Amino acid sequence: MADLDGGMMARPTAGRRTGRGFGRVLVTVYGILAFAALGRSSYELVVKFGEAPVAYTLSTLAAVVYVVATFALAIGTPAWRVTAWITVGIEAVGVLTIGALSLADAEAFGESTVWSGFGQGYGYVPLVLPFVGLWWLWRTSRSPSEERTA
Amino acid sequence: MEAQVTHDPIAAPQVPPGSLRNVILALLLLVVALCVVLAGWAGWFVARDRAVILNQLWGGAVIEGVVLIQGVVAIVLGATGAGADDPLLFWGYFATTLVILPVAAAWAFAERTKWSSVVLLVASLTVAFLEWRLWQIWMGA
Repeated sequence: MADLDGGMMARPTAGRRTGRGFGRVLVTVYGILAFAALGRSSYELVVKFGEAPVAYTLSTLAAVVYVVATFALAIGTPAWRVTAWITVGIEAVGVLTIGALSLADAEAFGESTVWSGFGQGYGYVPLVLPFVGLWWLWRTSRSPSEERTA
Repeated sequence: MEAQVTHDPIAAPQVPPGSLRNVILALLLLVVALCVVLAGWAGWFVARDRAVILNQLWGGAVIEGVVLIQGVVAIVLGATGAGADDPLLFWGYFATTLVILPVAAAWAFAERTKWSSVVLLVASLTVAFLEWRLWQIWMGA
């Protein structure tokens, strides 16, 4: 498990950067999902917004949240860490809420979104990712010295 | 299929697309094969606890080159009226395919641990997946 830190254990900084070590991979997957969501919503907004305004507005919202979360996790300074907590939290709530609603009523949004069926259309990555993100934020939030005394 | 039954003139074969379409398919399979090789290389580095090396980035550059050739062929096919059914969707995916490896390579190279190899692995597999999506879109699926 120590390897997860990617050699960051040695650094005596308070709170480790979220974009290092395993965080590199997390940010990569976030970036890809952000790209996918952004592309999807841009396409929907330009080509067929009138067909299902609720679903496409949700898609756009999800895309913006993914983009902000990607940058927040990549930069990882204390201020951005707060942004990361908020955006990753929104994703967790979003995928669970929209996922459940879409299963309960398939017609609820008129069209599918990134979060429909708990992110089924994206290999359930949207379902898993926010919880990995929250775990990573929690794990990197303590400074190494705190970990030693704990 | 129905169009052929009713002999719809619009559905009649367009300008000689056959050979160029085969070129598209061949290039696509080449990119997927190269991506699998690069992913395997990166995976091996993960197992050996090594960071991404410059030669792997050159491998990524080769893939980018083939993707660019695909783009040229797609433009030519589009100009002859045999392009993708949904050009906006196709080029959106194409742009994503083109951007992922350079960005991921830069992001990975700044990390000098095995996690950089995982980044390259993920990016390579994503490009392979996007190629498959490009083919679906091209075929109007």
